[in-house]
Amino acid sequence: MQPYQLTALQAAEELRTKRLSPVELVDSVLDRIEAVEPQIGAFTLVTAEQARRAAEHAAAEIAAGRYLGPLHGLTVGVKDLVETAGIATTSSSRSRHDYVPAQDAAIVRRLQSAGAIMVGKTHTHEFAFGVITPTTRNPWNTDHIPGGSSGGSGAALAAGMCHLAVGTDTGGSIRIPSALNGVVGLKPTYGRVSRTGIASLSWSLDHVGPLARTVGDAAAMLQAVAGYDRSDPASVDVPVGDYSAGLQRGVSGLTVGVPTNYFFDNIDPEVETAVRAGIATLQRLGATVREVELPWAAAYMPAEYAIMLPEASAYHQRRLRERGEAIGEDVRVLLEVGELINAPDYIKGLRARTLIQDGWRDLFAQGLDLIAAPTVPNVAARVGQLTFDGAQPEPVITSYVRASAPGNLTGLPAASVPCGFSASGLPIGLQLIGRPFDEATVLRAAAAYENTNEQAGAVPRIG
Amino acid sequence: MQHTPRPSTTGAPLEQLAAHARLSIGADRAEQIAAQVDQITALIDQLDALDLGEAPPATAFDARWE
Repeated sequence: MQPYQLTALQAAEELRTKRLSPVELVDSVLDRIEAVEPQIGAFTLVTAEQARRAAEHAAAEIAAGRYLGPLHGLTVGVKDLVETAGIATTSSSRSRHDYVPAQDAAIVRRLQSAGAIMVGKTHTHEFAFGVITPTTRNPWNTDHIPGGSSGGSGAALAAGMCHLAVGTDTGGSIRIPSALNGVVGLKPTYGRVSRTGIASLSWSLDHVGPLARTVGDAAAMLQAVAGYDRSDPASVDVPVGDYSAGLQRGVSGLTVGVPTNYFFDNIDPEVETAVRAGIATLQRLGATVREVELPWAAAYMPAEYAIMLPEASAYHQRRLRERGEAIGEDVRVLLEVGELINAPDYIKGLRARTLIQDGWRDLFAQGLDLIAAPTVPNVAARVGQLTFDGAQPEPVITSYVRASAPGNLTGLPAASVPCGFSASGLPIGLQLIGRPFDEATVLRAAAAYENTNEQAGAVPRIG
Repeated sequence: MQHTPRPSTTGAPLEQLAAHARLSIGADRAEQIAAQVDQITALIDQLDALDLGEAPPATAFDARWE
């Protein structure tokens, strides 16, 4: 096995015990990037020189006995929405090709403090406003999309081009590419991880968090990046738990709700079969599973759009006027539409969000620890595909965002963990949604399921 | 509350809306944008079915300085 193929925690153990040096690890990853990046297109920029310098520094620190912990010397891809000092941060937009921030985003500073080494900036659907990431291909089948908006992060991880990756999630942008690329993604609770230094899509709905090849890897990354930050007005001063301690506790004693409405509507039968089998596995492992009806389901997509579009248009108002022709047509149109939504309708969306939050609180109060559902109702679309021709034809973006929006509107922690493949070999994701700031239980259940999956952490053959 | 259905924004209504928003939209793109405006406002208008009562908007403001 090559070092790039190791999971983050496997690599960390090799580094901690000095059987592997950060220089060897980074070289292996950079060689892998050189080999497969032409087919995948995950990166806006590969920071090979900086990564090699950082690896030499990490090697010296570890050799001197100053080991910082499990992220020390590991490689990370950072979504290009996230600011990196002195390194172009384009949001995968021609309109922002010349932007070089002076400072690192809060999450980048935390990763650096933990000793992680950035190997490059990963592609996003332009300004995170879409689910395709047209620059990038799915490593499991390059005729298919990686999803988005953190498509570069999902594809880079799946292809072995980094051990950890940063994603953002406003309408599923961590969970969608995690499901489609067969990796683990965790959208933390709204307020758990600081968004300072990240281009906004929608302040009310934006989250930032980890993508990784295993649940344990994601837990280790969350541990490093979680915490209060006064500079993010959404940040909440709640103590950070130990996200790895409970990973092997299993699911005995947990009650998992399975929605009878919404999530399984208009779903690919292969996805439904895999997800229901995943839920049955949780039950076999000791969880109590019971059916639940989600409150206010008809309001999820209207509220998501009522909030997201006007906020995105407010953020990009000047850019749309000064550099509109350099913004891709799909994103430009959405920004223009957002300008034409009335303020009372936007606020109606925010008021609906209050009802939705209260409804989910009352639902969990019935003794639930988790909701289990498909991450997305369909596998990765083919490149250029606009619609899923299911029982009811549905645009690709609507299908993917529909299953993601509840997590953004409620702000609850939500993970995607791989739960099998379609007959055509495309990954399927199981979504687990937990109580506020209870990432530990979400990760615990995800780890219990993952322990039954022999293919967890696998890197596909490419080409 | 009864809501009057929104008219289509195709044509002159989009021009007026865009002008009010101080947004320049070329004639070659207007039809596509109007269709999107109509589709997304129809989606958002599904919120009319909710009885929002006294529900406040889900926004927060922290007056502390530190």
